[in-house]
Amino acid sequence: MKYTFNVSPNLRQSQSTKRIMLELTIALLGVYAFSLFYYQMEEGSEYTVQALILMATSLIVAFVTETIWALCKKQNVKTYLSTSFGWTTAMILTLMCPISITPYALGIATFFAIFVGRILFGGFGQNIFNPAAFGRAVLFASFAGATTDIVTSATPTTIMASEYNWLTLDSSMIQSLMTKTGGLWNMFTGWYPGALGETSTVLILLLGVILALRKVIDWRVPLIYLGSIFVLSSAIALFAGMNDWLWYPVFHICTGGVAFGAVFMLTDPVTSPVSAQGRCIFALGAGIITVLIRVLANLPEGCLYSILMMNMLTPAIDQALSGKQLAMRKKTWIVLSVLSILGIGSMALAVQAIEPAKPKPVEKPKTVEISMSDEYVNSLKASIDQTKDNGDGTTTYTVTAEGFAAKEGPNYPDYNHPFEPNVFEITIENETNIIKSVRPIVIKDTEYIGDKIQHEKYLNQFIGKDITTMEQVEKNDVVSGATFSVKSSMRALLEVQKALQ
Amino acid sequence: MSLLLGPMHHHIPGHKDLSEHGEILEVKAGKQVFIPLYASHSTKFDILVKEGDHVCVGTLLAKCSDRMVIPIYSSVSGTVTGISKIMHMTLKPVDHIVIENDGKMETKPPFHPLDYQKASREELIAFMKDAGMIGLGGAGFPTYMKYQGNQEVKKLIINAVECEPYITDDLKLVEQHFDLALTGILAMKKMAQAQEAVIAIKKSHSSHLQLVETAVANINGVSVVSVPDVYPMGWERVLVRQIMKKEYNRLPIEAGAIVNNVTTAYAFANALVNGMPFVKRTVTISGNAIKNPQNVSCPLGVPASELIEACGGYTYDDVKLIAGGPMMGKTIVNDKFVVDRHMNAITVLANRPYDSVACLRCGQCCDVCPAGLQPVRIAQAGKIKDKAMMEKLHALDCVECGLCTYICPSRLDVTENVRKAKRQLTLAKK
Repeated sequence: MKYTFNVSPNLRQSQSTKRIMLELTIALLGVYAFSLFYYQMEEGSEYTVQALILMATSLIVAFVTETIWALCKKQNVKTYLSTSFGWTTAMILTLMCPISITPYALGIATFFAIFVGRILFGGFGQNIFNPAAFGRAVLFASFAGATTDIVTSATPTTIMASEYNWLTLDSSMIQSLMTKTGGLWNMFTGWYPGALGETSTVLILLLGVILALRKVIDWRVPLIYLGSIFVLSSAIALFAGMNDWLWYPVFHICTGGVAFGAVFMLTDPVTSPVSAQGRCIFALGAGIITVLIRVLANLPEGCLYSILMMNMLTPAIDQALSGKQLAMRKKTWIVLSVLSILGIGSMALAVQAIEPAKPKPVEKPKTVEISMSDEYVNSLKASIDQTKDNGDGTTTYTVTAEGFAAKEGPNYPDYNHPFEPNVFEITIENETNIIKSVRPIVIKDTEYIGDKIQHEKYLNQFIGKDITTMEQVEKNDVVSGATFSVKSSMRALLEVQKALQ
Repeated sequence: MSLLLGPMHHHIPGHKDLSEHGEILEVKAGKQVFIPLYASHSTKFDILVKEGDHVCVGTLLAKCSDRMVIPIYSSVSGTVTGISKIMHMTLKPVDHIVIENDGKMETKPPFHPLDYQKASREELIAFMKDAGMIGLGGAGFPTYMKYQGNQEVKKLIINAVECEPYITDDLKLVEQHFDLALTGILAMKKMAQAQEAVIAIKKSHSSHLQLVETAVANINGVSVVSVPDVYPMGWERVLVRQIMKKEYNRLPIEAGAIVNNVTTAYAFANALVNGMPFVKRTVTISGNAIKNPQNVSCPLGVPASELIEACGGYTYDDVKLIAGGPMMGKTIVNDKFVVDRHMNAITVLANRPYDSVACLRCGQCCDVCPAGLQPVRIAQAGKIKDKAMMEKLHALDCVECGLCTYICPSRLDVTENVRKAKRQLTLAKK
């Protein structure tokens, strides 16, 4: 009979850290599976294979790094690997990356995440920064250009950040934003290209609810984080005077992996405060920083850096709440209120600083006016071949005038068109000298260029003008580039003008 | 669940069905009984008998006069044969008076019965003090101390919650002796001059709730209240929080409450009515490594080994033998320790070791801590011997309920680490 000593209590609940990590892993696999499905359906197996390679690379680097470390420290490798949970870091990091990233860049980032982000701090439970976020920041800083030939279209976040400055009040702009990003519902379901695991807001939130119910994550953190982003972005919309503003906070929630960050990264217990009160402050702070970075900073997205910044503040938050939790409630409420006021206030200030994207004014086609006295025009040869009285008070002149083919063709050895002039028919009202029509009869200038002066929009500009007083013609976007041909037509008109003077 | 606080308690599977069934098994004392000289953390006693003295059930053996007077009585009749040092249920080696049992159970009630309805409040308090009444729920605190003051008592809370898993002796008492316990409750209510007395029972014990409800139906100012099936519902701070929605600093009386265990009320009534001190009690013998889990009734001073044997012995080779419930009871590495007044159970658990991993700072210990402490941080401060921080974190307010260790998913001994921190603070204060 053996009596074993054990310090009380002698009972344990069934949930273990290993099980928490297992359930987290399953949830991450769910997100990853959605991503594989999306790329297989939308882009084909080349993309799916790339996604598989990325995940495999990251996992292998994580395991190899930890194995080597365990061997260096003369620890049992299997025990070390199974209790350091490095694979969750590798998975989260991979899911934060776009599919276009090169495996080698991801591999290096994984090494940094595992070795610098975790092992150097003392291993699992000791790290200050969320290791996956740390690895992603390394990628941002050092491997921004490390992309493969795999091309994806711009993500809603990039579109919103680069083209819309994270704020627009114009309804047609909102319309075009929705068209470009596929609409709010599309973003909610995640059927668009983006970071591997960050797109499907609805799937992530669903998994978040399950994880919270299973006590794998604390429900407070995602709720307060996403809630504060919703409220703060609503505040921006209202301060900016947006009508029908509800789309705006929803857009903020559905883009840029805030849902992923809320459920899988901010909830990382190692890098967040230990008490519920601390975690409330932590999540609210992250929400404010995320929105501020989005609308004010150069970075397209604020989620990642908000997590890292709040990670840094975690020890301070814990320190500030040293005491009995019942007694600390008041302090927590004060901090939360101050943060909320600061948050809303900074949004009011931010609105002053943001330049809302406005629709670009519709540009008038460029018009270049070419004068009748233009030297080049006058250097062209022209002649009236035929003058015909139409009997209805108008006269039609058939004029031959040199164009590009006749004048410039000989200068170009490769120019394999006949060097012949163009022929125009110009009809003038006898009494008033008003131009009734200008019609190209034979155009020998090169296709495309020559075609342009046969365009109605170009020819119509002459109708109703007095040929004797005409001094210049407009060379608009219709005939852009066709400078020689335009000058040819002008030379024909000039010949008629001369004849009538 | 509130935004800024965790639940401050947790449901623990009770396994009450193991021992709840059937009658209480009467276990007679063996050849020798060992009466522990221990009362409310003190082992300083004036011994009033000597070797060779004949004693009866109810003979005064010793008196503790360290901080408060607590008498100790004999639980069997026979001859005093000496004093021996044995491991006590509190994990301390303690002097025990050894009595050779003559098996006659000759009884001499040491007190004159007192009618609580006629007696004055002061008489009752004095009687309680002389009778050596201590809290029988587990703490062993002298009961009369709670009634001495003159503060207004809104509620006398009678604790029949029995929140520790496996233990059912309070439930058995409610089933079989509630009439006598009710006399004690009414006497205590008079002593407390309380506006009302409420009997707290877990809502999962619906038959007991009904039984008590029927029994007190016609009594003014006594009622039954059902409380959630969570641990540590039976700690007076949690009871006051649940029933009175109030917090207090040191003692429940600050919130207008006195909390006493139902077995204490029964023991007090037994003294009032029968003139007998508390020398015999019901003990739950349960756990997953005992053959026949059940409640046994035995004189104080009977060694655990005899009770285990009466219950069919062990079913596992490597066990944790616990004096008390699995949460707050102490494991003792031999079965020589004896039944003391506040030992309500012996729990026998199969020893199945588990792997622990590093703390991931999940904060679940902070969420469930019924005192609202942050156990993980107290443990950390203890590790680096940061006394100022331990103090700031109110380490000494911990009652070692064990919930932080229970909940810890990394399987760390959080409670033990907090205990170590507390020890550092207490040593520094001395």
